[in-house]
Amino acid sequence: MVTPKPDAVTDDALPTELLEAPAPTPRVTTLAGTTVPSGAKQGSTTGRATKSRSGGASAARRPARNARTLRVARPAPGADAPEVLSIVGLSKHYGETVAVDSMTLSVKEGSFFGIVGPNGAGKTTTLSMVTGLLRPDTGTVTIHGLDAWTQPQAAKRQVGVLPDRLRLFDRLTGLQLLHYSGELRRLPNEQVRARSADLIQAFALEDAAHRLVADYSVGMTKKLALACAMIHSPRVLVLDEPFESVDPVSAANLTDILEKYVRAGGTVLLSSHSMDLIERVCDSVAIIIGGKLMAHGTLDEVRQGQTLEDRFVELAGGRQAAEGLEWLHSFTD
Amino acid sequence: MASHPTDEREGEGTVGTILRLKLHLMANIFRRNVWQAVGLGLGLLYGLGVAAAACIVLVFLRTVDAPAQLRDVLTVVGAIVVVGFAVVSLLFGVDDTLDPRKFALFGIPNRRLSISLAVAALLGAPGVALVFVMSSTVVTWSRGPGEIVIAIICALCAIATCVLVSRLAAGIAGLLLATRRARELTGVLAVLLFVVLSPGAAFFATLDWRHATWEVLSDLAAIVGWTPVGAAFAAPGDAASGNWGLATARCLIALATVALLWFGWERLVARMLVTPQREAASRNYRGVGWFDRTTNGPTGAIAARSLSYWLRDARYWMSLVMIPVVPVLVVIPLLLAGLGAQWLALVPVPFLAVFMGWSMHNDTAYDSTAIWLHIASGVRGVADRVGRVIPMLVAGVIVIGIGASVTGLVLNDWRAIPGLIGVSAAALFGSLGIGCYLSAQFPYPVSKPGDSPFQQPQSTGALMALVQVGVMLGTGIVALPAGVFLLLGVTTGVTSWHLIGLAAGTVGGLAVLAAGIWLGGRVFERRGPEILQAAIRA
Repeated sequence: MVTPKPDAVTDDALPTELLEAPAPTPRVTTLAGTTVPSGAKQGSTTGRATKSRSGGASAARRPARNARTLRVARPAPGADAPEVLSIVGLSKHYGETVAVDSMTLSVKEGSFFGIVGPNGAGKTTTLSMVTGLLRPDTGTVTIHGLDAWTQPQAAKRQVGVLPDRLRLFDRLTGLQLLHYSGELRRLPNEQVRARSADLIQAFALEDAAHRLVADYSVGMTKKLALACAMIHSPRVLVLDEPFESVDPVSAANLTDILEKYVRAGGTVLLSSHSMDLIERVCDSVAIIIGGKLMAHGTLDEVRQGQTLEDRFVELAGGRQAAEGLEWLHSFTD
Repeated sequence: MASHPTDEREGEGTVGTILRLKLHLMANIFRRNVWQAVGLGLGLLYGLGVAAAACIVLVFLRTVDAPAQLRDVLTVVGAIVVVGFAVVSLLFGVDDTLDPRKFALFGIPNRRLSISLAVAALLGAPGVALVFVMSSTVVTWSRGPGEIVIAIICALCAIATCVLVSRLAAGIAGLLLATRRARELTGVLAVLLFVVLSPGAAFFATLDWRHATWEVLSDLAAIVGWTPVGAAFAAPGDAASGNWGLATARCLIALATVALLWFGWERLVARMLVTPQREAASRNYRGVGWFDRTTNGPTGAIAARSLSYWLRDARYWMSLVMIPVVPVLVVIPLLLAGLGAQWLALVPVPFLAVFMGWSMHNDTAYDSTAIWLHIASGVRGVADRVGRVIPMLVAGVIVIGIGASVTGLVLNDWRAIPGLIGVSAAALFGSLGIGCYLSAQFPYPVSKPGDSPFQQPQSTGALMALVQVGVMLGTGIVALPAGVFLLLGVTTGVTSWHLIGLAAGTVGGLAVLAAGIWLGGRVFERRGPEILQAAIRA
């Protein structure tokens, strides 16, 4: 991801000089003297490069294809941190199919919790039962001490929701949908106005605010839906595939917003099938396969010294050998 | 295509593959669920029954010795069938399972694809029925070897014309109506077409059929027989009447029509394969619209959202346009039946009221899966119900006020107006109240947001019928007391009956509305997740 090459520095004034530099060290010092930001960037780049190089060296003893760098995990909340969401014995069946099988999971306050699993593993089903969108067959969900299914009104007030693959009221403009979300959550009018304006700015939706959501691209729709989920400043954000179809720049912005939210004591529970994303942003992880919880805990506890992807593939039953497709290499004309 | 033998074989392969694909698609419709399969089966049986009846009639017509008249009837009916194939495909063909664009990535040669798709279009209830019916016309005209030859040629031409016309119409619709806004416009266009056609239908209904029929028909057939839509149906009759020159000319017209349509279809397929979906230009709105003008909080917000949808969503426009059309449709037969003006004038306003309230009975389903927002936000059921009712309630009260005044002016007699208001209020409040409950308890699938309003989902069936009958019957019962008082008032001429009717209608209607909101609200809160699941399945 992070290349040690100097052209990673994107300051407009400097790249050619940096590229031409025969001996980087003295040039950088002089540059650092003249412009502070470029020096800071250069420093951070080399810092990360060293980190990844050392990771690569330690992994070199493993087989070549596993030579991946281990990202340093974000610190998880301590063991004494209060529990903000607890799921106990949650199950959902569809006829003979078991979508979620007696899942028990707890999320600590202030944690950035990621649920990973292959397609159809039951991630969306689990999150829907947490947010009150799907009635569980058995089990309880407790949010900030409130039972989500016996005290739904109070529990729902604590949660901001971004579902996957459900429609929005897309005949409203972006601004109207934000208003609508705020009003449904009983925010006072002035607050709805102020927060909508802030969110539109934070999510870079200025150009789209007055267009119908039906005319948005998928990524923009996702950004707007995320903004709608936050408008009532919930204690917990439950986000189903929040970064799918979102462009890298917006994804980086969203990650920043979510990181600040977590730092301020908020809790994020998100699902994704992108291991890389989860490993980068989350401090705690749960791996769900076939409706069953295979592992959960802090990122380091779960991945056990491997990359999350390798650990995940291992839990899912290992890689399937890519044999028997030889015909694929003799091309049809 | 015939240049290489291997090419030929592969070509047959493509036709076979696409035919099998079409069969699989049809079979899978039956797999979705039992009730849907039953509904579809009944529909098929009905369609095939009609086709079988047509076949029997056509075979029987072999014995009728009046070829000229027979020709005129078949020409006009045939032309209507061809136009029907075109119109139905134009309106419903937007989401076509065998859209040529779906095959764009397979690199099938254009001609082969065009043939395959046209042949595959024959599979399916309309295609099969068409083949049987057209085969029967050969029997009708089997009055000599020459006639049989012409009848066979023309039957083939007619089948090809219908199939190609329908494919062309669906393709053109797919090309032109690729954008959301254009798709929504079709709904409005169709309603306009309907409104324009109704005077025509009324004209035909009032025609003196016993005397003028044959003249009108033969005049019409004489013209239609020369057009591409009618030539194939007229030619065998000409031959049977001994008019061989005419028969040959019309036969040539029919053949030329098929050739032209084929040429057009092939070009259209080629064009569609390289035309990407169009992008819609989007429009800017300012401010937050109705959200500024309603009260703060969930109820006001839901009312504002509902109102915005009434003005922006083509599916709602359909209901809006139907509201004034329905009373007209009710009045016309009553007028023809010779109902007196003093009674007739009392009919439209209550019917307007019923159909304004009617729009509520499946309102929840129109949100589709977007309803999750209400459920996840923990919106109170009563707030949800009241918010949805407000637009039609306000509009309905205004319409009743204006309508009652206009009725009074027309009758130049204001004594019956309180009674009329009573009946209308009972009808409006009653249908809204019953709708409030039923739309939470039994939402049935409707066309999805952004789809054409005419694209009914496959799985409506029994639930839809049940809910609609429920709303109608319930509204009738709520409005019955006020209606009886209105009748008493008009027949006896005693004004106090009308005042009693006003009180009974308003109070009864409001009670039902309040009960519907309360009950519907409870159901909405209790069944929130199930309503969402129903929307996801739809």
